[in-house]
Amino acid sequence: MSLLTEYDADARSMRRATRRFLIIAVLVTLALVVAIFVRQGLLRQTVSFSFVADTAQDIAKGQAVRIAGFRVGSVTEVDLRDDGSVAVKLEVDADHARFVTHDARIELRKEGLVGSPTLEIVPGSDKTRLAAAQARLAFSRADGLGALANQVRDEFVPILKDIKAITGALADPEKGLPGTLARIRASSEALNVLLANGNRQVDGIGGTAIRVLGKAEEDLTHLGQTLEAANKRLPGMLDRTQQVLDHVEKISAEAEASVPPALRDGSAVAADVREIVGGAKQTWPISSMIDAPAPARLKADSDPRGEAGRAR
Amino acid sequence: MRAELAVLLALLLGACGSTPKPVDPPRLRAALEAENDGAKRYERGDYTVAARRFAEAAKLHASIDDAIGVARNRMHLARSELVLGRDDAALKLLDATDPGGDAGFALDVWMLKAQAQLGLGRGDAARNSLAAAATLCTGDCPRAASLHLLQARHALADKRAAEALAHAEAALKLLQGKDEAAEAGNAWRLVAAARQASGDPAGALAAASSALDIDRRLALPEKIARDWLLIGDIQRGQAPAEAAMAYRKALDVAQAAGLDAITMIATQALQDNGMQKKID
Repeated sequence: MSLLTEYDADARSMRRATRRFLIIAVLVTLALVVAIFVRQGLLRQTVSFSFVADTAQDIAKGQAVRIAGFRVGSVTEVDLRDDGSVAVKLEVDADHARFVTHDARIELRKEGLVGSPTLEIVPGSDKTRLAAAQARLAFSRADGLGALANQVRDEFVPILKDIKAITGALADPEKGLPGTLARIRASSEALNVLLANGNRQVDGIGGTAIRVLGKAEEDLTHLGQTLEAANKRLPGMLDRTQQVLDHVEKISAEAEASVPPALRDGSAVAADVREIVGGAKQTWPISSMIDAPAPARLKADSDPRGEAGRAR
Repeated sequence: MRAELAVLLALLLGACGSTPKPVDPPRLRAALEAENDGAKRYERGDYTVAARRFAEAAKLHASIDDAIGVARNRMHLARSELVLGRDDAALKLLDATDPGGDAGFALDVWMLKAQAQLGLGRGDAARNSLAAAATLCTGDCPRAASLHLLQARHALADKRAAEALAHAEAALKLLQGKDEAAEAGNAWRLVAAARQASGDPAGALAAASSALDIDRRLALPEKIARDWLLIGDIQRGQAPAEAAMAYRKALDVAQAAGLDAITMIATQALQDNGMQKKID
């Protein structure tokens, strides 16, 4: 009897442990499922937008949608419409939908010139209004390598044409470089003749100039003598002037050292006294005893310098 | 000791019991104090500092948008400039002064303008200013005597001696019994000059002596020196010795007061009459 009772107790304890294990296992499994859902984004809230493209080239379901380079959603549907255009639906995380303004556009870009294509939502300038859910946004494709090559070609072709025209003009025997060189040669010969004539004329003028210079030399000799006399007297005068200037400088230096501080001190003292007196005047009860002065009247004097009396 | 304490206590109680007077705003008070300080210095003959104080007062009045205060101090400043011989500066200042529709201020501005213009020898402009002033000075005009004196100055400068004498005598009549000694001195000086120009040296000498007496009483060096010059001019024809003495007096006063322009005039007058005096 006691053996049976012991067996029953063991079996109950085993059942309890098994039940506990099963409950924990179910809970862990559920937690794992929820975690997977969250990780996969199945539980997140999204906002749908769409756009229409001419072609589905470089657009595919599941393709990343970015805002400022951050992945914020993905393409959910790519359908061919009756008119041959392509309708594309995409979902953006609700958290990031605040960046999608009503005038935002979607741009298909490539990472680098040849990288994988991504859809980038470019917000518009009007930040006050956001795009409604299911709104259709504008779409454009950024220029790829081919477009770039075409642009370079378009720029280069006119330049090449210009170079061709210039080289053609230069090679022209009449109006081009050969003709110009021939004309320069003829002009330089004419110039040589002109210079030879000029030389002959200058020789004639030279004689006259030499005579004038001779006269000028005489005058300069006289001037030199005068300056020599002045030169003898000048040092003495300059010495005396220098002495006077030295005295003036000395007096000025002394005045510079002593006068400004004295003036500053005097001015500061006067300002202080004025401030003290002014402050005292404004202090009650002194302020009630002293009236503010009335506007001043100067005594009439129609001839303050007494100039009127003397006619001359 | 107890009595002194009681008095002090009574004073304090009286002060506490008295109703505080409404105090003027500090900036207005400062402006009025600067103006009055300038006026005191002007009366003392310290015209340079007076001018500075008037300029300061005008600035303070301008800072509180008190147009009348600004105009008044500009006129004070112009008067200081006139005394300092800076007629041009005074005229510019007056041209920029807006009397603000106050007829009294406007009259003062025109008269001061005329004064500056007479100093600068601009007779025509002075005539216009005096005409404008005359239209504002009618009836019982307190500035009538000064206006007559300016008209006399203008007439004298224009060689109209009789008219100058009439205006100067009219001014003298108006000044009788009034406390305007400086203007009375000016009037006598003008009477003297007008009489001299009319060929009445005796009358001129008497008038010049009256002017000298007044200017001595007022202790105005520049006017005293000019009175002596005038006396010298009057006496030069009849009594050269007295004329020389008058010119020397003028020279002494001018040198003592540091009046360079009058020193030069007196020296020149002495030289012209062969009455040179060694200048210190």
